[in-house]
Amino acid sequence: MQEKNANASNFEQCLKCSICTAVCPMMEANPHYPGPKQAGPDGERYRIKDPAFYDLTLKYCLNCKRCEVSCPSGVRIGDIIQSARLKYGRSSNPVRDYMLASTDLVGSLASPFAPVVNRVLGMKPVKAVMDGVMGVDSRRTFPAYSGRRFEQWFRSEAACRQLGFRRFISYFHGCYVNYNYPQLGKDLVKLVNACGYGVHLLDREKCCGVALISNGFGNQARKQAETNLKSFRTAVANGETVLTSSSTCTFTMRDEYSNVLGLDNSDVRDSLLLATKWLYDHIENGSIRIAFRKDYHKRIVYHTACHMNKLGWAIYTTSLLRMIPGVELKVIEQKCCGIAGTFGFKKENYPYSQKIGSELFEALRVANPEVVVTECETCKWQIEMSACLPVMNPISILAEAIDEKETIKLNIR
Amino acid sequence: MRFDVIIIGGGRAGTEIGAALQKSGINCLIVAEGLSINPSKRTEFAACGGTLLPGDSVVGGGFDGAVLKNVRTENLVGTVLEADFFVLATGKFFSGGLASTMDGIYEPVFGCDVQYEPDREKWVNPDFYADQPFERFGVVTDDYGRVSVNGVTIDNLYAAGEILAGAVDIDGSAALVTTQIMRRK
Amino acid sequence: MKEYDVIIIGGGITGVGTARDCALRGLKTLLVERFDLTNGATGRNHGLLHSGARYAVTDRDSAAECIRENKILKRIASNCVEETEGLFITLPEDDPAYQDKFIRSCREAGINAKAIDPVEALRMEPSVNPTLTGAVKVPDASVDPFRLASANALDASIHGAEILTYHTVVAFVKEGGRVVGVKLRDSRSGEESEVRASVTVNAAGIWGQKIAAMAGAEIRMLPAKGSLLVFGHRVNRMVINRCRKPANADILVPGDVVCVVGTTSDKVPFEECDDMRVTAAEVKLLLEEGCKLAPSLADTRILRAYAGVRPLVAADDDPTGRSTSRGIVLLDHERRDGIPGFISITGGKLTSYRLMGELATDLICKKLNVNKPCRTAQLPLPGSEKKLNPAKRDALAFKAAEGRHGTGILRMDFAGKSEVLCECEHVTRAEIAYAVKYLDVNNLVDLRRRTRIGMGTCQGTFCMGKVAKALAEELGCPDREKEFLEQYARERWKGMAPVCWGDSLREAEYMRKLYRK
Repeated sequence: MQEKNANASNFEQCLKCSICTAVCPMMEANPHYPGPKQAGPDGERYRIKDPAFYDLTLKYCLNCKRCEVSCPSGVRIGDIIQSARLKYGRSSNPVRDYMLASTDLVGSLASPFAPVVNRVLGMKPVKAVMDGVMGVDSRRTFPAYSGRRFEQWFRSEAACRQLGFRRFISYFHGCYVNYNYPQLGKDLVKLVNACGYGVHLLDREKCCGVALISNGFGNQARKQAETNLKSFRTAVANGETVLTSSSTCTFTMRDEYSNVLGLDNSDVRDSLLLATKWLYDHIENGSIRIAFRKDYHKRIVYHTACHMNKLGWAIYTTSLLRMIPGVELKVIEQKCCGIAGTFGFKKENYPYSQKIGSELFEALRVANPEVVVTECETCKWQIEMSACLPVMNPISILAEAIDEKETIKLNIR
Repeated sequence: MRFDVIIIGGGRAGTEIGAALQKSGINCLIVAEGLSINPSKRTEFAACGGTLLPGDSVVGGGFDGAVLKNVRTENLVGTVLEADFFVLATGKFFSGGLASTMDGIYEPVFGCDVQYEPDREKWVNPDFYADQPFERFGVVTDDYGRVSVNGVTIDNLYAAGEILAGAVDIDGSAALVTTQIMRRK
Repeated sequence: MKEYDVIIIGGGITGVGTARDCALRGLKTLLVERFDLTNGATGRNHGLLHSGARYAVTDRDSAAECIRENKILKRIASNCVEETEGLFITLPEDDPAYQDKFIRSCREAGINAKAIDPVEALRMEPSVNPTLTGAVKVPDASVDPFRLASANALDASIHGAEILTYHTVVAFVKEGGRVVGVKLRDSRSGEESEVRASVTVNAAGIWGQKIAAMAGAEIRMLPAKGSLLVFGHRVNRMVINRCRKPANADILVPGDVVCVVGTTSDKVPFEECDDMRVTAAEVKLLLEEGCKLAPSLADTRILRAYAGVRPLVAADDDPTGRSTSRGIVLLDHERRDGIPGFISITGGKLTSYRLMGELATDLICKKLNVNKPCRTAQLPLPGSEKKLNPAKRDALAFKAAEGRHGTGILRMDFAGKSEVLCECEHVTRAEIAYAVKYLDVNNLVDLRRRTRIGMGTCQGTFCMGKVAKALAEELGCPDREKEFLEQYARERWKGMAPVCWGDSLREAEYMRKLYRK
């Protein structure tokens, strides 16, 4: 009885120290946002009394989770806000939000017509229509759609090569790799293969659902999550770890599935890992060895994406990057880029998004690296557009930096 | 992962010790649940090459007799963090260095020996402005700043800062632990 | 020297209810209170608007009285009452036969009691103990005693009554055996004064024994301490009671954003009434019993513990004092003790305060030969004139203020004062200014009772410094900021001390770090 004098649902552990309000990027940029403490634990008490106390300004929360990382009481502030939005929130622009959130649907429609779609999305009149009618900001550069999806490439070019392996991982590639940037997926296959592991795709893969969650489509998100969890279970039953290359997908599937969508993922959570963590662990225990190219040189700045910061796994990536002899690495202080997935695409949010990111853009410009490295694809779009610096996933850096032949030899069993 | 020293707690004492050791070339890791009220020491620590795990917490340690060999954290699942020396600087109740139930007070990471008043009615003086007994509760250390678990002194686990029992001298205790570790390193 | 028709001693709910009635009937009225309004039992109970069901088996008259008043208050005090309804649950260890008897008694008293299936009860009230074997639904409700008293005092002032808080009655002024007034001492300055009236009313609750003695009459009060625990948020939507003979800690009431479990019941010496402290044993008992009503209380943060004293009166014909009544006791000391000009109104309960006021005022009017009917059952209290729609407002702080003050929000000026000072309870500077202007606020503890400032999760840790400053400014006495803060910190601490473990101890440590000298 009454062991901890604390609430099981966690919001009462808030002591009102208000540190979260000091790290919230939105609070500073937007005076209408009441901040994590009020929107989260403080508001929750009132919403429990009566849902009419739901405050519409909760839509401004970026779900960056910086509040949670800063909280000395372990309050899941971001989760409380996300859950409240799913439960009580109403979108003012549901069609636009659904389009932005349905990365799978839109991606599979757009990919076959990629050259056309990319041109059209880039055209001024179309942007004006999207801006005026849909509420998607015209200043935003859309990520290009790839003509050939990653899955198609894998099945036709890479699948047969996997037959020669005895050990496998499963790869959750995510929408971005599939529709927009298959090269990252190709880099992962190259790297993992060189380390002596074959790559399987999952039985069925759906978008992780992060955009559905943040746009208030809880039921659709839950459905997709269940499909993914089923595929993870099959993979895990086959003894395969599920690797990912996106920090946000990983964070969503490990933490938001249970904390926000209320799904039990405890049986697969520990087997769902960013490829960088998996690789680091295997290098450390000696089961994977890597040879790096002697002629590889890069000046890198590592940007810890907010969800990466929440996962706490940046240390694996930076440790791996430091292993590359020709890499000059600088880790800059963690800051939010402001895009927060689909948030920054919305017309009404664009100014906040750019204002929040401005500190990071400036810090990156000052550091002036050859390339910025981060695990988050939306950070990549934002930084490329706003700081005009190339951005790469650490997996791509590693794939570039390894001496492939030598590494394959080291890992033959 | 291996470090020379792992410091649990990123508050005043933890960052003070971390920055001092790191500056003399001792490789430190600070595991810091929650943000420090005064983050400047953290920045200093990171600037001289120290490693920081923000928003993470230590969930337990691996002992070999009276020696702490390693710790594990909540986020770094499956990763063992090893070090020669460990420092517990997790503060008192507010920051979770000490935890309490209706029946008692304990140190939640390693179960270090804690000095406190067993009768709960005596923890708090009903006059707000009077001396508050609970503010003197804390872990007990030997002359070198080392904690004990079940009466056995842990050879390489130090405590500093507000987690200590009695009238706390944060800077003094941090200085003691820094000196001890430098001497033995 | 000021002269009145009536002087009422005591700023509890009975006093302010009587003052409102007297004022509405056109009497020149003064209410005096030695501290703040609701400082006694009124501010230290469950906040339960009884349906009467609790008394149905043991005291049919009280039960019938409760249900009548319950219906009236839901109408006239809609902004202070939340129509939650209540459950009387039977647990496996309770006598299963009691429920039938209970329902029968309720119906005989005019209380709509309906047996419902345990499964249905769990659906209606998910927090209820799932092992229940029976449940009865009754029209219990939750009432905010601070708001109710404040609204009565406000209406009394609107109708010409004077409310004088922080004034202690030190003596009666008598002329030929007749009470013609009282001597007052300003509790803060020590200054003494005299006021006169045709009738003086003793509505001092448990302290009525002392007041009566001062006038030369004897009333035997039997102080019974009742301790309660406040939890950090609402776990229940409905009032939950045990369906058995009334016992310790068997009521859990949702009140605004918190819930309250209580009470214990122990006879205490009269001298202790001014400083009640809750013991560790009482906390344990309240928790154990509370968890039987709603098991989730076991992991809900306890914000504080407090205790009040029930003003139980020994029946006049029982010299042993064993027989007490929960009923209303109206004493005409002219007839009873030969002291003209003096009456006492005591006993009763929060739910029946309006009727107590009516009965007392009827007697006063009779003595003054005033022939005006009571209208307190018809006229809505200030704030409850009409139902607004808080959901239509955007920001939480506006909705919260409207919930607390009803139509009073129309008199709040948010221009330049919309900053939220107490973030747990979403209290703005504008609400503080409103309370200072209309609700008789003298310090930060008073302000808490009017606005819920500092009654939330952090118990004022986050806001008390800012609020002390804001209040001092609104009151026009910036030099008192420190005094406000210290008084408030002591008051909050007293309630936190008995439940200081777990997160509440963490909060306490934080509060000390911020405010200790």
